[in-house]
Amino acid sequence: MSDPLKYVGQPIARVDGPAKVTGKARFTVDVQPPGTLVCRILRSPHPHARILGIDISAAQKLPGVKAVVTADDTLKIKHGFVETPRYPADQYPLAVGVVRHVGEEIAAVAAVDEHTAEAALKLIKVEYEILPAVFDPEEAMKADAPEVHPSHPKVTEPFRNIAGKTETGWGDVDQGLAESDYVRTDRFESHLRTHGYLEPQATVASWEDGKLNVWTSSMGPFIKRKKLAQTLGLPLSAVRVHKSYVGGAFGGKIDLFSHEFCAALLSMKTGRPVKVVVSREEIFAAYRHGQPLIVELTTGVKKDGSIVAQRIRTINNCGAYKGSGVVVIFLSWGFAMATYRIPNMAYEGFAVYTNNTVRCPQRGHGAPQMRFAIESQMDMIAEEIGLDPVAIRLVNARLPDEQLPNGDNVHNCGLVECIEKAAERINLRERYGSSRNKAAEGGSLRRGVGIGVSAYFGGSLIYPNSSSVIVKLNDDGSLIILTGSLDIGQGAETILTQIVAEELQVPISQISIMAADTETTPVDIGVWISGNAYVTGNAAREAAMAVRHKILEIAAQELETETCQLVLSEKAVSVTGAPERRMSYAEIYEASVRSRRGDPIIGEGHWRTMRDVPTHPSLATAKGRWTENYAFDAQAAEVEVDIETGKARLVRAVTAHDCGFPINPLNVDGQIDGQVSMALGHAFLEEVMMENGRTLNPSWLEYRMPTIGEMALSESIDVITESYVVGQPYRTKEVGEGYVSAILAAIANALYDAVGVRLYTTPFTPERILKALKEKAQADSGNA
Amino acid sequence: MEHIKVVVHLLINGDAHDLAIAPEATLSEVLRGQLGLTGTKDGCGTGECGACTVLADGRPILSCLTLAFECQGREITTIEGVACNGELNPVQQAFIDAGAIQCGFCTPGMVLATIALLNETPHPSFAEIEKALEGVLCRCTGYNKIVEAVNRAAEAIAARLKGGTSCQTP
Amino acid sequence: MHLPRFTYVRPGSRDEAAGLLDTFGKAAVLVAGGTDLFPRMKYRISTPEYLVSLSGVTRFLPALDEDGALRIDALMSLGDLSRSPIVRTHAPLVSQAATCVASGQIRNAATLGGNLCLECRCLYYNQSHTFQFVEPCFKLGGDLCYFAPKGNRCWAIFASDVAPALLSLDTVICVTGGPGKQRRFPVAELYTGDALSPLTLLPSEIITEIIVPSAFGTGRHSFRKFSRRKGYEFAGLSVAVALQVADDGRTCRDARIAVGSVAGGPVRAAAAEAGLPGQDLSNSETVRSAAATAAQEIRPIAHHGYQAAHLRHCLEVEVLRALTEAAGPAPLADV
Repeated sequence: MSDPLKYVGQPIARVDGPAKVTGKARFTVDVQPPGTLVCRILRSPHPHARILGIDISAAQKLPGVKAVVTADDTLKIKHGFVETPRYPADQYPLAVGVVRHVGEEIAAVAAVDEHTAEAALKLIKVEYEILPAVFDPEEAMKADAPEVHPSHPKVTEPFRNIAGKTETGWGDVDQGLAESDYVRTDRFESHLRTHGYLEPQATVASWEDGKLNVWTSSMGPFIKRKKLAQTLGLPLSAVRVHKSYVGGAFGGKIDLFSHEFCAALLSMKTGRPVKVVVSREEIFAAYRHGQPLIVELTTGVKKDGSIVAQRIRTINNCGAYKGSGVVVIFLSWGFAMATYRIPNMAYEGFAVYTNNTVRCPQRGHGAPQMRFAIESQMDMIAEEIGLDPVAIRLVNARLPDEQLPNGDNVHNCGLVECIEKAAERINLRERYGSSRNKAAEGGSLRRGVGIGVSAYFGGSLIYPNSSSVIVKLNDDGSLIILTGSLDIGQGAETILTQIVAEELQVPISQISIMAADTETTPVDIGVWISGNAYVTGNAAREAAMAVRHKILEIAAQELETETCQLVLSEKAVSVTGAPERRMSYAEIYEASVRSRRGDPIIGEGHWRTMRDVPTHPSLATAKGRWTENYAFDAQAAEVEVDIETGKARLVRAVTAHDCGFPINPLNVDGQIDGQVSMALGHAFLEEVMMENGRTLNPSWLEYRMPTIGEMALSESIDVITESYVVGQPYRTKEVGEGYVSAILAAIANALYDAVGVRLYTTPFTPERILKALKEKAQADSGNA
Repeated sequence: MEHIKVVVHLLINGDAHDLAIAPEATLSEVLRGQLGLTGTKDGCGTGECGACTVLADGRPILSCLTLAFECQGREITTIEGVACNGELNPVQQAFIDAGAIQCGFCTPGMVLATIALLNETPHPSFAEIEKALEGVLCRCTGYNKIVEAVNRAAEAIAARLKGGTSCQTP
Repeated sequence: MHLPRFTYVRPGSRDEAAGLLDTFGKAAVLVAGGTDLFPRMKYRISTPEYLVSLSGVTRFLPALDEDGALRIDALMSLGDLSRSPIVRTHAPLVSQAATCVASGQIRNAATLGGNLCLECRCLYYNQSHTFQFVEPCFKLGGDLCYFAPKGNRCWAIFASDVAPALLSLDTVICVTGGPGKQRRFPVAELYTGDALSPLTLLPSEIITEIIVPSAFGTGRHSFRKFSRRKGYEFAGLSVAVALQVADDGRTCRDARIAVGSVAGGPVRAAAAEAGLPGQDLSNSETVRSAAATAAQEIRPIAHHGYQAAHLRHCLEVEVLRALTEAAGPAPLADV
């Protein structure tokens, strides 16, 4: 039996807490080198237009304007969220010839101040030829629809505007449905939401002596470096992305953005630092949001509730360029197949170009939309065949060691326990159905409970595919961690510190961490595919272990014993059973330098998920392994509905989660609370309202993100399925994205439980709820 | 129109500053740009996120919607000025301990709004906390741990007062 | 977002301010708290050459008149208003409505007068027009309405929470237009109902104070704000109800029902009010019928994502709730 863990698994306060709570933490918006110019960007007012000409001469002449750039000043190299042979890069940083969405970037200026930059934009004259535009994906698929881009050459259906298609399946769905005792088909629609990161998009670029220094609000410095170098025609080594803290991202800061490119190009042109802070309004009206998905779902089950076959068709309104739209149609398949056994499956997903803003990942990246559909239908099926919501899920839930159709394995899957525990905590079996349409506290209030389940991947293979970490021992026995990982609020710096502290038994306070600098820290996969705790964490553990080996070897040599006789504790090594035979790390450092020709004890570690798998799975066929870490969860919701106004709210959320084990329970709870909040925004409040490609509510006043007044009580239950053992690789599962989905479904199901109406479209606005209640009342009276 | 800067006398975190500012300069622009007090965050500039909250004579205001010129004669406190006796303010400490910080962008505004609340209402109810913090958006935490931090801070301040040590918060 | 350039003037008195407004004419805008104006200026939908600030004007504390009416300085911040013991006691509905406005930070800057003079709002209008909705709408001096493209008027919403409260209390507004140019009138006369130009004030006139008469001020009342989120945002609709009740505690002597955020100005539900005097307020049919009448006579405009039919439905619900609350056994305590 090993010693209990001292740092890993403990609710340790964030290591960046003091910097953040005192205002000292430097975010990109706080970076202000002397002589910095202001960059502003000219955007398309049209959803679809040909650019006939751009005249920048007047803007260039304005005193205080230092540079104006258009596509003609660029190398016209495209970039994309996906850049594969099937889905090559498709978007220019500045529009070339055509604009395809309102807000698309056309030109950029660098000027001495905001007023001048703004005045310069007004002086740029663009001549457009308006082209027909299309905004609805199903309209865009029609043969006579305006063409945003030609359909993908490999798509055989006669649809227009197809950016990409994912098609996969197994078994025989038709036969499966024929053999089912009960089959139903439903259509669910999700709406356009956005990330709502508090720190606006911002970049500072400074071209100095042949090197481009960049500070940018991002989710991965290495991928930003790659895409900047690529589009600017620079070698990787000419671009350095520096660390700055990131004020939230949630998926919205991983793509290369035109403002990053423009700041860099303008700095190269002017030789001065250039800063761009994108206005909140621009972020809402011109930037990338999440993905509104249509899900058509047919499911057949046996009498016992077990799924026999499922047919899924998704349509993703992916906006004017591919963005991550072609990824979501792959991912949403993954989010459909990971939780339940589905013997026969047919899946097809279409990403459809429209003249809307481009899409990018948003926390969950397709999972909330897909789980909302599947879990809503699960409850409908259960009711039809006389099962309770818990029973039908238990029948289908994946069990440990199940092999998935793509070759992945669920390993120690804790889904069954998650379902049991979430249901038990909220007393679902007893409460579900018991209070339907009965007044709770007040006359017009109704309450209901519901459950949903979800699974989420933890790291996949995508550039740069691996993470490395370096751990250095200082001559006083303290440590320095070098990591390319970036803290975007999730606590990356804290958990890496905990892991190194545990491996080397050095107090947290004596470990400093240098992060997220492409020149001084090693490569990192980035903090956007839910793999940081697993991939970078194991790299940190390996690096610490390398230090540990050296420490033990030197101590064994100096203390004249075997390494297996030694124990580490409080920055020192001692001999088991003879604590007086002891060396501090400071002494070991000194001994290493003395006896090993100056070796100051530096450890290096690296990690790559799925080490035998060559690359990421096919987006077109879903073939190939995806991840080796599936996190599972069941979430239960208690919802209150005012049947007179239709207003509903999430009162309480219970999350039973199998994240393997929590490296930091405080962080895990924080991630869960945040996701519950985001989901309740998704369910009831938030919507980017659009009209013909223009955004009606480009502000937080009208984009209704939850305030503290909408807070739901969030509780979590750990389902521990993995463990951490010092010196050994660990498997942990993600906690940053997976818990935004099942709770959305649970809310939909709880809403049904409260008032007996089923909503197929998010958000569940008072208007929709009231309308459904009226229709139900009419149907009920008709039946009476 | 000739654009003339005027010299204003501002009292920020107890320090007096004479600054030449343009009349349209907001307090947040002056704090962040001229004084380098970048702890005050600007998340929207239009008074919706509350990240730019500072205290004016102890009351929370939005520095993005306040003309710096009109802050003359008022005592302005920013996140850089709330530490007490060289240590973290109990509210700051409570935010760290409760896990109420994630990305940290809303944190300065949250902390200042909480300090103002606890100065007036040492033992706030949930409804009072809700009212006091309704103007600061947090996207990361879902607010659960922020409420916990406010309660912890209230307890810590009460314990300090009991122990005879007080912290001169603004 | 940053403010456009302007010349800043800071008069020492309201009369002086009125004089400056008179001198500068359309080139000037008056500012008190700035929480409504500055976002519009940052969006460049208001770009005054001169900003006449009231920040240098001496303010007075709320006080009772000999006849029991409460006089409140128009420059009192909504935060002070919601905290003021004398307002809480003598005009609790005003205090309650003020507390519902936006957030604490905004209330600490925003003033009573400013809230009464809010610019009307609409999704299309309240944003900058650099690449979206570039063609100016009626309110921006153009010739179209994005909300109702076939119409020939502005459909923006007057979203003050305090205005309906004052309307239900028969409040009197005092204005100055410069030395010797004072006038006072019922708050209802402050509003044109036309979103394009919602106030009846002359360009040089400034609201100096409001007077809440005692009759309704301390009577039974209720204020309800219907919105998607608590506080923070503008109302989908707001309802203020003030009742005068006979000594029996149930017979209505007089009633006021005012509704905000449904039109280009606050509106009274006059027909619903008229049906109430002499009626037994404890009779649920009485209040129910009044609420139904209110929903008949007021036709809310769809706005900010709220559908018209839903607002109308909720108007009935909220008026009913407000009347029930106001008519209840005990007047509402402080908020």
